[in-house]
Amino acid sequence: MRRRPSVVPSYVRPTPRRVAGLPAAAWTLVLVAAAVVAVELYARSGAVSRLDLIPVSEMATRSLELLGNRDFVVDALLRSMVLICASFAASAVVGVGVAYLMARSRWVHRAVKPYVNVFYALPIFALYPVMVVMFGTGVVPIVLLATLFSVVIVISNALVGFESTPVIVTKLARSLEMTRSQQLRKILLPAALPDILAGLKLGLAYAIIAVLATEFILATTGLGQVVNRAYNNFNTVDMYAGILFVSAFALLANLALGAALRTFDWRRR
Amino acid sequence: MSAGTASRTPRRGAPAWVPPLVLAAVVVAAWTVTAALADSAVYPLPTEALASLRSDLGNSRFLESVADTARVLLLSYAAAIAIGSIAGMLLGLSAFWSAAVLPVVYALNSVPKIVLYPIFLLFLGIGDLSRGSFAFVSGVLPMFLIMVEATAGVSRLHLRLAASLGMSRWSLMRRIVVPSVLPSLAAAMRLCFGLTLIGLLLAEMFSGSSGLGYELLRNLSLARVENILGQVVLIGVLALVPTLALQQFELRIRNRYEEVSA
Repeated sequence: MRRRPSVVPSYVRPTPRRVAGLPAAAWTLVLVAAAVVAVELYARSGAVSRLDLIPVSEMATRSLELLGNRDFVVDALLRSMVLICASFAASAVVGVGVAYLMARSRWVHRAVKPYVNVFYALPIFALYPVMVVMFGTGVVPIVLLATLFSVVIVISNALVGFESTPVIVTKLARSLEMTRSQQLRKILLPAALPDILAGLKLGLAYAIIAVLATEFILATTGLGQVVNRAYNNFNTVDMYAGILFVSAFALLANLALGAALRTFDWRRR
Repeated sequence: MSAGTASRTPRRGAPAWVPPLVLAAVVVAAWTVTAALADSAVYPLPTEALASLRSDLGNSRFLESVADTARVLLLSYAAAIAIGSIAGMLLGLSAFWSAAVLPVVYALNSVPKIVLYPIFLLFLGIGDLSRGSFAFVSGVLPMFLIMVEATAGVSRLHLRLAASLGMSRWSLMRRIVVPSVLPSLAAAMRLCFGLTLIGLLLAEMFSGSSGLGYELLRNLSLARVENILGQVVLIGVLALVPTLALQQFELRIRNRYEEVSA
């Protein structure tokens, strides 16, 4: 006997465990693999010039070769990593500090909040040329811009955290006559920690984006600049290798920080 | 309007718009004082920046650049909103396929997209098509992600109602899904505007023959900081006006459509 198709539409049926015998995670892999194979075959088919596209396997081998290249590791990878870490650290400290001031003072809160709200609507990268003229093409403009770009997301998340402190706990702090620094260390920071961590995670993603983008547009060294130089020299192999490397690097850094921060998050324990 | 907000906050101190203005005034004053003290060719006064902006705005080539950027921005923004929201709503209805596809899109979205821009250049050439497509991609990914999540949050009860009424897919979309996701759609539209604009400016800064980003870098090679600063102010204004309008739009949508009892 043939099973009749259900009259219940799919959007109200319970989510199937498997489709065509595969769970959702396996389908994710299938999709990625299909995309990789499609690009590989297209590049090998001869329908596209080697100046435009190279097979994925070549991109991967070349980016692994880059890891063995001392100039690349020191001038590009390590340098970009140092810049990312410096801007991330600066925006973490400044961001949480500003959010703390905003939580403490009504005036600061009202003065800063409108700017925080519209900050990401402004293309802040437009300031990069100004900074380059003022400070040269060194590390200063890159770190400044990356800090500026990532600090605001840290501020807005940390502020949400500070403001979510239960009123009863702040009252307790007052009745125990805690000093300001005690209140900060024992009450506010722990209460805001999950939101601060969420902000830091985004902050790292933003710092990576800003450092690589500024290096890509105008710089003399760094990961972004490797891609830029390869493009300008028509060195397609190095360009794709660099793009693949940068993408993998950003992905791994975000995943690693996400995993590291999750261990501190008391709400998820 | 401002008088109304002021009278609604009778608490101690000045009305709500005073602190931000004071902060802005302090920043401009600090800029003026340090620039006057530094007296440097690469650190102009605010008045010099505004004066050069005024002379730029009298220049027809510059105005063409502004118009170019605005035209490409509008097209790529409209495309990002339309395609991102429709694809997001279609995928969001299927929990299984959302679980399969979303990790890939989240991963793509966390990669610094600007380093992918050379690929756009290789395949689409230098011009409106490549920078427009890049701006589109910068805007469409977050739009898509927000809309998938919003559609996944559509009330199960409403979906069952649609199923028991035997609604077609089309009227399900029109009568249930779209009204439920409108508040998220409005928020996503505001967010994506900024992201599309950043994508477009970065693309123009990397390679372009016209557009605001190109003007910025051209003035950089000429070391005309006052022009760059004037243009930064102009870009800020051009970005803020639509954002504030979209914020108002979002507020109205939320008042009209958001469920009161969540």
